[in-house]
Amino acid sequence: MTLRLNTDLAAGVFGLLFAALLWFPRESMGRLSIIFPRAILVITVVISLALIVKAFTKPAARRVHVEGNPVRLAVMIVVLFVWWYAIGLLGFLLATAIVFFGLTWYLARVEGPVTMRRLAQWVPVVALLIGAFYLAFTQVLNVRLPSGIWS
Amino acid sequence: MDMLLEALLSILTLEGLITILAGVTAGLFIGALPGLTATMALAVLLPFTFTMSPLQGLMALGAVYMGAIYGGAFTAILINTPGTPSSIATTFDGYPMARQGRAYEALAAATIASVVGGIIGVAFLLLLAPPLARLAVVFGPAEMFWVALLGLTLVASLSSGSLLKGLLGGCIGMLLSTIGVSPIGGETRFIFGFPALQGGIELIVALIGLFVIPELISMAAQGRGALPESGKLKGGAGSAILRMGKHIFSKPINLIRSCIIGQIIAIIPGAGGNVTSLVAYNEARRFSKDPASFGKGNVDGVIASESSNNVMVAGSMVPLLTLGIPGAPPDAIILGVLLMHGLRPGIDLFTETGVLTNGFILSMGFAALFLLPVGLMGGRLIHRIVVKTPFYFLLPSIAMVTILGTYALRNSMVDVFIMLLLGTVGYFLRLIGIQAAPIVLGMILGVIAEKGYVQTMLAAVVDPIPWLRLVANPLSIVLACLVVLSVATTLLPGWLERSGRMAKAKRDEEQAP
Repeated sequence: MTLRLNTDLAAGVFGLLFAALLWFPRESMGRLSIIFPRAILVITVVISLALIVKAFTKPAARRVHVEGNPVRLAVMIVVLFVWWYAIGLLGFLLATAIVFFGLTWYLARVEGPVTMRRLAQWVPVVALLIGAFYLAFTQVLNVRLPSGIWS
Repeated sequence: MDMLLEALLSILTLEGLITILAGVTAGLFIGALPGLTATMALAVLLPFTFTMSPLQGLMALGAVYMGAIYGGAFTAILINTPGTPSSIATTFDGYPMARQGRAYEALAAATIASVVGGIIGVAFLLLLAPPLARLAVVFGPAEMFWVALLGLTLVASLSSGSLLKGLLGGCIGMLLSTIGVSPIGGETRFIFGFPALQGGIELIVALIGLFVIPELISMAAQGRGALPESGKLKGGAGSAILRMGKHIFSKPINLIRSCIIGQIIAIIPGAGGNVTSLVAYNEARRFSKDPASFGKGNVDGVIASESSNNVMVAGSMVPLLTLGIPGAPPDAIILGVLLMHGLRPGIDLFTETGVLTNGFILSMGFAALFLLPVGLMGGRLIHRIVVKTPFYFLLPSIAMVTILGTYALRNSMVDVFIMLLLGTVGYFLRLIGIQAAPIVLGMILGVIAEKGYVQTMLAAVVDPIPWLRLVANPLSIVLACLVVLSVATTLLPGWLERSGRMAKAKRDEEQAP
């Protein structure tokens, strides 16, 4: 998918917005804490303005090429955040089992329809993978993973 | 000399060699997992050394350290994910090489460079520890500020097309590094009312987010694995090793320069492997006859990064063993082990307990040698897994390890959220030309630059012109000149090309009789 977008303008506007986000809360800080971020904020604003000027005088790319299927791209981003939310809610083991299996099924459909038999064959593989990492982190590395509603 | 011989004999036992081999293997696999750093590898394996003799325990930890730093290169090359922060620069050329079907060449180059780097670091430590330690204490806040700026000149090399966008990325990274408690004032900054942000954005969290998540999103959108079909091996593994060995040793300047840079930066407490590999990469690019090929799969970039970060392993022990100052975070754990066994850093370590200290240093040399067989076999195994696993299994697996690794850093789901957020924003920033590398570089060096700058300004508060303190002594003047030189040599060729002077000079040269 190709989008029409002046990348210099987009980068400049992003830089200004990011600088603005950090510019306003700086008032309440002491001199020692603000001296460095203030200098970088000023430089960020100058660079962003330079990019905006360049966008109108000597723009770089005016097209952005998004490789692949945009629907899958959006789904992947949503799935990652749903995974994060589900871990807090259901615990690592259950949330990961559900999301991992669902994501594998969704991605495998790119290559063609997924039969029930194939799905059933994946169950032990997915269980083994998740189980191995779960045990490695909890038993060997002593990391206490979130247990969600089961705690 | 007798002490050195005695130390050598004490490690050349079956038990000693197995300890080193096991340490290197364990370190390699932990280091290869995104989020698990060399410090974590040492911390996790520390309890296993409690039952060992002091020398065996130190040998195991030295080997784990060496293996973990090297292990970071595997994922950096194969899935564009630095396993440890010191492998960031390895991704710049390692992953493009893997995508061109030269994965094994990149892995072989990383292995040989790591082995040579590790051995040179040990040689430096054995021969030059006391004079190098004196150099370490010369680096004050002003010098650290210039070292950070020297590293930041790398932004120009990483900008891939637009210097302004590269600089913007660097500034965004530096601003991200200021979130949390101020290192000098002690106030909390930019936390927007979220107490969870008080600890700041952990470098590894940003690193995983900015490097892994955009790649995962891209893989899902394109329905492909980390390495496409062309990512399979071209030629045999043996021929790749021979080719890379010949390439590295026939033009050893890059290797020697990177090792020297690695050693100098390693002895500066607080700089660490993250900075060494970035600076060495930048210098390799600047001195190359073909700087434009860097970032597109130039093996010299991998060699510079991997040799310098493995020199750092033994190199950072110089201030640790002589002054008791850890040169890098993992060294703090080694210091703890030394103290636990009643060993105090200083000259006594090299005289009274010389056999133990020299044995520890020599064991790191053997660990570096063991990287060759373990690394080449491990590299082949991990490469096969990455290429053979169907992408619909590989992608969720990488996502799961990423989430686990990020969570394990501070047992925080907020860190996981920040990682995902930075990764998603990073994907869209990449589309508009702001790459992840300058942002991460800004995050690493921003902290060092801020500390150096603010401490210098504090010390100069009574001076009539405070900023002159930044160039008050010969070393800081030399470093400042190096920064100017670095900026000039990086920007000048591009400027000459754009202004047409380069083409004119070439034409004149051709027309000349």
